[in-house]
Amino acid sequence: MVGLAKEARARHGTLAASLTQERIVFGLTIVALAVFSLLLPGFFSRQNLLNLARNVSVLGIVATGLAIVVIGRGIDLSGTAIMAVGAAWAVTLSAGGTPETLALLLGLGLVVLMGVANGLLVAFIEIPPIFVTLATGLLIFGIGQFVLIRTLIVHLPASASFMPLLGQSKIAGVPIQILVAAVVMILAHLFLKYLRWGRFTFAQGDNIETARLTGIKVRPLLVGQYVLAAVIAYVGGILLAGANPTFSISVASAGMMYDVILVVVLGGVSLGGGSGGMSSVLAGTLLIGTLINGMTIMDVSEQWQSLVKGFVLLLAIVLDSALHPRDEETTRQNDI
Amino acid sequence: MSGRSDADPAAAPGPSGPVRIRVVQGSKTYQGVHAIEAVDFDVLNGEIHGLVGENGAGKSTLCKAMAGVVQLTSGWIELDGKPQVFASPAEALKAGITMVFQETSLVPTMTVAQNIYLGYEPAFTSIRRVVIRAQQILQSMGFHVDPSSVVARLSAAQKQMVEIARAVYHESRIIIFDEPTATLTPEEKQHFFALMEKLKRQGVAVIFISHAIEESLDFADRITVLRDGRKVITAPTASLTREAIVRHMVGRELAAANEIPDAAAGKKRGRKVLSVENVIMGEVVKNTSFSVFAGEITCMAGLIGSGRTEVMKIVAGALKRNLLFGGMIYLDGPPVRDRVPAQAVRDGIVYITEDRKLNGFFELMSIGENIYFGWLAAQARAWVARRSTLAAITEEWLKRLSIRALSADARVNELSGGNQQKVVIAKSLVQKPKLAIFDEPTRGVDVGAIAEIHAFIRHLADEGVAVVVISSYLPEVLKLADRVLVVRQGRVVVEFAGQDATEERIMFAAVH
Repeated sequence: MVGLAKEARARHGTLAASLTQERIVFGLTIVALAVFSLLLPGFFSRQNLLNLARNVSVLGIVATGLAIVVIGRGIDLSGTAIMAVGAAWAVTLSAGGTPETLALLLGLGLVVLMGVANGLLVAFIEIPPIFVTLATGLLIFGIGQFVLIRTLIVHLPASASFMPLLGQSKIAGVPIQILVAAVVMILAHLFLKYLRWGRFTFAQGDNIETARLTGIKVRPLLVGQYVLAAVIAYVGGILLAGANPTFSISVASAGMMYDVILVVVLGGVSLGGGSGGMSSVLAGTLLIGTLINGMTIMDVSEQWQSLVKGFVLLLAIVLDSALHPRDEETTRQNDI
Repeated sequence: MSGRSDADPAAAPGPSGPVRIRVVQGSKTYQGVHAIEAVDFDVLNGEIHGLVGENGAGKSTLCKAMAGVVQLTSGWIELDGKPQVFASPAEALKAGITMVFQETSLVPTMTVAQNIYLGYEPAFTSIRRVVIRAQQILQSMGFHVDPSSVVARLSAAQKQMVEIARAVYHESRIIIFDEPTATLTPEEKQHFFALMEKLKRQGVAVIFISHAIEESLDFADRITVLRDGRKVITAPTASLTREAIVRHMVGRELAAANEIPDAAAGKKRGRKVLSVENVIMGEVVKNTSFSVFAGEITCMAGLIGSGRTEVMKIVAGALKRNLLFGGMIYLDGPPVRDRVPAQAVRDGIVYITEDRKLNGFFELMSIGENIYFGWLAAQARAWVARRSTLAAITEEWLKRLSIRALSADARVNELSGGNQQKVVIAKSLVQKPKLAIFDEPTRGVDVGAIAEIHAFIRHLADEGVAVVVISSYLPEVLKLADRVLVVRQGRVVVEFAGQDATEERIMFAAVH
């Protein structure tokens, strides 16, 4: 029997079968890096590569939060709104005289509340997450704009020290932003791979009713995922707010959510739930970062950049389907 | 109807008419693995052809090839002597081939009538006429289904009836039934077989896949046995016996595991583990009371829709009884109210689902992970997942349930029905329950694995676990039960000791 298994695997173990979407995306990243290095002088320099990574670190962080929700077969469209409003409120409080640490903690409390609201609506009222978070995203943005912050642009007070530290300083030449993104991704990876609730997230994404009957507490698990996504997005928001003297909450409405989803899906986190991981998010983030960086140096307009991003996403998905055709024996009934 | 067979009913109804459909050297491979291999198969006009074999033997694949759902890798299909290629089910349907699937392929949000007409609606549909016509079709088969009700609200058996009605409506010349009787009650089965005979008299070629060998023996003209993707034999039914078929199916005599010593007689009853008192849930479970004892197998018989699954799901926390005056459930003495399965699992109650594909296992996960998740869910304080624990638990349970898999890393999807069921069972039993509820433990499971699962359930009871088996298959109930509870219209109406139960008594209580 075991011999048979090896034989079957050997037959399977062709190049095509080992090429997952994630690996394809890593491959594309390397190709893009090589092409840009050859074509663009100064692209393959330490400074530019650090720049590249720094520019996508916030994107990667928010995508990490979203990936956890998507693996649990949900989606969180309110991620960027939570990120922007949470961070902007902390800045506003801090500018209004609240000590910075307290302001950051209050901001944390706010985003936890937002995550809990998302989670409760999904888990207990049982509204599909796409509707819940579409609505709460708009609601949070509106509350931020008209109640909490009352302006679109907030100014980082001179008294603030922690946020600029995160957003602007470097350790051994490496921007702290990149290090924070790396730490968030590693922690998320450890959570998904080794912790009880991380493993259960996969189980729930695979089949929520099976998970429930098996004795997994799916409702607290769901709420936890949305809270986690909100808190991770908040970390990204703080980096963003600390990076510049002024911070506009309109980043949330400027199509950033689309980029976040792009990064998650590009790397191979299936919207059908139960598959993918942090390496997928990393792959997606790096590819998008490389493309944006290269195209920006080439002075390609934003519209063309969007077009290229869309094309790349389609390419990755088509390649994956071509390499792994699903016959009717392997099709999931509840595929999206 | 030919006069010949009327005159001599005892003679084996020798299939005579010309060949309607023939598969020549048909092979189908999935990723290098043969699902069927060089199978020759033919069906005659006006013949009922029984197709038997263990799960994974290739019955469904063979039929799907004929119905255009899958394409043969090699070999070909002849229809009325002419080679044919069906690129899609629609083409096969046009050629008069309909397959009634095991997993129903109805649109749940549409009405029964709309489903029967699906894809063949005239440009302008009169709802009234469609409903009347659908009613006529259903009536002609003795099916009691309201054509204007929405399919999602039907029972599994009723859905099956709609599927059959749809095939009849299409006036197909070849109808393939994949496990049509698995979800039907005895009365509905009789209607179904009468219908099959009727189709046969009209010259329709009927192919009939069934796990219940008796059904093929009773109704088929010829029987084909498949094993491991190859055809073992095709023979007139009269020349076959049950034993011969089983021998062909498994390729060996069934082990003695099939015969479980009748432990019911003279055994001392264990402590009372579960006591259900006056439990009520809406209109489904109505004020029912019963008890379950340790070391005993308590079988719950009853028609589909009688509420037997629901009452046990309430016990297992998967459904909620009425909040007020919902009755009491006592577990080992004190009352319990498990609102979610997680609480029930902690209390030592596990429910093993009747529909493993729907909510039995995690399909993207390996066998090992499936079993491990069961363990992890029961360990409230295991915060970290460990591969070493996973490996140890998997190894233990693969052995205990003799799960035959290429490796523990294989996906559950890739296993045969019997081994899938064993994984689902292992995933629950790793939680060390004191009360284990098996809902249809051998549905869609091959004969060899059925014997093993039965032996395992008996072994579990002998270890002191209180076991409840919900089953529609009466031979199973009679074989396993120390005690039989018959459920009718939401309550336990009668209780038999295992040795007093007979099929007639149970059915009488269930339908009366």
